[in-house]
Amino acid sequence: MSIRESNRQLRLRRTGRMPSDARVRHFDELSDDEKQLVAELAGRPRTAPETDTLEDGDVVKFTDYYLVRSR
Amino acid sequence: MSDSYVIIGDGIAGASAAETLREEAPDAEVTVLTDEGESLYNRILIKEYAKGKLPEAPISIHQEDWYDDHDVDLRLNTVVVDIDVDEDAVHTHEGETFEYDNLLLAIGGTPQQLPVENAEADGIHHFWTFQDARRIKESVEDAEQAVIVGAGLLGIDFAAICGAQDVEAKYLMRGDNWWRYALSEEGAEMMHEAMRERGIEPVFGSGVDRFEVDDDGHVEAAVDPNGERYECDFAGVAIGLNFNTELIEDTPLETDDGVVVDEFMRTNVDNVYAAGDITAFNDLVLGEQAKNGSWGSAKEQGTVAARNMIDYGSEEFRWVSSYSITHFDFPFLSFGHPTLGDDSVEATTADGEWRRVALKDGKVVGGVLIGDLSPQSAFKQLMREGRDISDHADHLMEPGFAVDDLPASPEQ
Repeated sequence: MSIRESNRQLRLRRTGRMPSDARVRHFDELSDDEKQLVAELAGRPRTAPETDTLEDGDVVKFTDYYLVRSR
Repeated sequence: MSDSYVIIGDGIAGASAAETLREEAPDAEVTVLTDEGESLYNRILIKEYAKGKLPEAPISIHQEDWYDDHDVDLRLNTVVVDIDVDEDAVHTHEGETFEYDNLLLAIGGTPQQLPVENAEADGIHHFWTFQDARRIKESVEDAEQAVIVGAGLLGIDFAAICGAQDVEAKYLMRGDNWWRYALSEEGAEMMHEAMRERGIEPVFGSGVDRFEVDDDGHVEAAVDPNGERYECDFAGVAIGLNFNTELIEDTPLETDDGVVVDEFMRTNVDNVYAAGDITAFNDLVLGEQAKNGSWGSAKEQGTVAARNMIDYGSEEFRWVSSYSITHFDFPFLSFGHPTLGDDSVEATTADGEWRRVALKDGKVVGGVLIGDLSPQSAFKQLMREGRDISDHADHLMEPGFAVDDLPASPEQ
């Protein structure tokens, strides 16, 4: 995982609805760094610098379904 | 003439090899043979489908047109019945022959059946393919009571499926706790409690002696070795995999509970490679032959195998795997080989947080984290480095542990 050169910040929002075109990835598909990031952000009001691989609109299955937001 | 590559299996190991071959050997002829009726799908999300949490669409990874677009010849519903390593050819059930310059075996495994009476009755399920997931979802939606057998990482998926579909279940375990080879009772109890909250009751010192069926041949009860009878209209059995090595029984390929490969994923036949669940590989991190069934490991093995088929010796497989359980409202992650080792340290580090690290000759070889995953990178780093921490193992149990917390090793 590498940090993208932008000022955008990632956050994870718990989601109950699955957008039909969302890319859904299981936690086990993520790199070690992404796992660390998701474990830190999930369910918490925190942000982190945008990465190359977690895209705005992606859904990650962790302890719940989390929608990736990049703003 | 371009090189030809035949891949048997379109799971993540075979598919990642095909992708890598196409990228790094653009002129190669690549053929993928699979006995399944659908192309690559996300095997670690099919449990979410069976739980009713996810529709089919996001689970597909490669549509069939992906293969056309990438000039990969995909043959679905194709059963390989013979491999002839002298003639460099594989033969299929329909009499077709595919010749190869290099062959990759990504043939995985098949769920083991319980060796008990009525083990093949209607309503008794095993869980491996997307088709299995569809059958399980359909069956469990009509069920009221279930029995689950197999106290490991696959069995707990059945427990979660039953919990998500509001089916009361008895989870019959032979030992005193779930995944007893990797967790102590203290750690496992956190998992048991999460199961109970979802209507799944762990039953210890149990198992299945036989299944009973109704007049239509549908399962109606499991009887354990103590004579206890548990009524059920759904049963999930996950006691392990049989590796699909029968295909190579008449070949000179070496097997040892899987296909034996070196760190380049090559078998003892120079132009035959293997990747994924099927391999017994030279684990450079562990320092001995090992097996691993995780998604990430299989994907990496497929990529490494492809690179070495193009240029043998170009890339070693050196990997610390991990496997997580995401069914509950707390995270669970195992890494490396948590069931191995000659020593271990464990601790409850906070309310709802537990960890255990397995050691061999003073080095980290695996572990389990429940609740708090923050030390995962540090533990994996120690494992990759093969650092002897035998005098400092207790440090691993400190909340917020970082590798820099350890005293410098003597050579530093």
